[in-house]
Amino acid sequence: MSLLDLGLLSFPVLLAMIFLRAPIGLAMMLCGIGGLYFGMGGANMFLAKLKSETYSTFSSYSLTIIPMFLLMGQFATLSGMSSALFKASEAWLGHRRGGVAMAAVGACAGFGAICGSSLATAATMGKVALPELRQYGYSGGFSTATLAAGGTLGILIPPSVILVIYAILTEQNIAKLFLAAFIPGLLAALGYMLTISIYVRLYPGAAGTRPAIPYAERWRALLDVWPVLLVFGLVVGGIYRGWFTPTEGAAVGAAGTGIIALVSGNLGWQVFKQAIIATAMSTAMIFFIVLGAAFYNSFLALSQVPQELSNIVLGQGFSPWTVLLLILGFYLIFGCLMDSLSMILLTIPIFFPVISQLDFGLSPEHLAIWFGILVLIVVEVGLITPPVGMNLFIINAMDRETPMVDTYRAVMFFVGSDILRVILLVAFPAITLFLLP
Amino acid sequence: MLLNFMDRMARSMAILGGLVLTVLIVLTCISVLGRGGNTFGHSEFLTSLAPGLAEALIGTGIGPVRGDFELVEAGIAFAIFAFLPLCQLHGGHATVDVFTSYLPARINNALIAFWEVLLSAIILLITWRLFEGLTGKFGNGEITYILQFPVWYAYAASFAAAVIASVVALYCAAARVTGLLTGRSYMPASEGASH
Repeated sequence: MSLLDLGLLSFPVLLAMIFLRAPIGLAMMLCGIGGLYFGMGGANMFLAKLKSETYSTFSSYSLTIIPMFLLMGQFATLSGMSSALFKASEAWLGHRRGGVAMAAVGACAGFGAICGSSLATAATMGKVALPELRQYGYSGGFSTATLAAGGTLGILIPPSVILVIYAILTEQNIAKLFLAAFIPGLLAALGYMLTISIYVRLYPGAAGTRPAIPYAERWRALLDVWPVLLVFGLVVGGIYRGWFTPTEGAAVGAAGTGIIALVSGNLGWQVFKQAIIATAMSTAMIFFIVLGAAFYNSFLALSQVPQELSNIVLGQGFSPWTVLLLILGFYLIFGCLMDSLSMILLTIPIFFPVISQLDFGLSPEHLAIWFGILVLIVVEVGLITPPVGMNLFIINAMDRETPMVDTYRAVMFFVGSDILRVILLVAFPAITLFLLP
Repeated sequence: MLLNFMDRMARSMAILGGLVLTVLIVLTCISVLGRGGNTFGHSEFLTSLAPGLAEALIGTGIGPVRGDFELVEAGIAFAIFAFLPLCQLHGGHATVDVFTSYLPARINNALIAFWEVLLSAIILLITWRLFEGLTGKFGNGEITYILQFPVWYAYAASFAAAVIASVVALYCAAARVTGLLTGRSYMPASEGASH
């Protein structure tokens, strides 16, 4: 069996393992090692590789950004910034029709600016906003769907752990990717608010009302969110202006949110330990997948599968747009099944060489950035797509009275808004690339 | 009893790793501040406005921490090895259970035990090869570029954490298989990672 055959054979094997509940990192690692073993006719190659590969993956300076961002998100959760954000956005929007739900989306967007993970954003904002929504007479399914959708803003609005991984895989500039994600992230938040206002007109019973509050109080509530603006400005602005590297920016952000949490009096030793434990779990999970992907991808590269696939696709003479839509469709479907990070690590080394060969009338750098943002969005739609979107489970578990079906029904409106946005961003790359120099 | 001990060990390692991570964050911030102060001292703004102050600032020797990234790399590798045991013990590794959720619990448990054994085998393999890497770095006397400390120091720290990870991995494999045979649970109630 040739190396190429082995490489092609590894796809179904890998998928079978994953669907039979193998830890994803382990499945990739086993396929990588197995492939190297059979492909090279012995164990010497992977044994030699293992001597340094684990250490060098775990000690990678650019990946250090991940535990730092995760810890930053933990501190942000503890510091009370989530409730300050919700109060401020509720003060301004709460009296409108569906206003409290819009406020929850606004607060999620704000929290996304200091947290790089969707599930953490959904969980954190869910705790703050769900009781309020229910108290103001918002229906259960509508409330949970709003928060599940709002949670995906955590990863769209920079900083974003997935964009860091994408940047490393495709050798792109992290700062530029963060910048490019900004407008699509804002569009997402606006789209969700628009969805809410349509929903409450279709189902007037789904939302209660409350009187507007005086402007003096609104401004006071807005003042309380300054730490969020400060940290976001410092981290994303600082990375972009070249004051520091992305890793240094993550360190500054983690230290900044840590100090704010400390000053707010919420960060004692016990709480700090919990923050570390949560960071440790997520970090270990991510790095084990990164390690597995490193082995699997080095086997794939050796087997020439990515080049061959790219040649086959190009040889078919499909239009670039057909290929792009097929790939995005693939992500949309698989995003419902698999977690975003594993998908990116697994597929970008295969799809990116194909996309980079196609002509969309963009420079190579712009193409890579645009494609990255599109993939990020499509993969995130999977988090709120019934029946298995992770965000849906997290939020639904917080509201025992609401049946899952109600959440499913309401969230379809948000999925629709996501799909419209993807179409918009595909049709007009300039929206994504607008802020880039 | 044994589970309690393993859980404590895994938690202690995770917290130790987290403290290292915290120190690295502080170190990186000091480095950024130092570099910022140095740039400020040399800046046209300060040298023209208050030359004495600028000179004094530079005179303090303010600047980035030398070779900070070498410490960050060595430290973060240790931290991640130290995070592994907790993740395995609490079933934190990402899986797809959409399809298997339709299967009976017994088959699911068997699958979980099967992958746990393989995962543990891989952790042991990694630890063994890391030891080979360590002896290699020890033998060739390789040192880092800027701080010039022996690379094997960093390998040794990671190896120590990997040994703990192996012990916990052996426990997890044994606990899952025994649990499968006896029908009792020897693992902590699963927490799962959020990411």
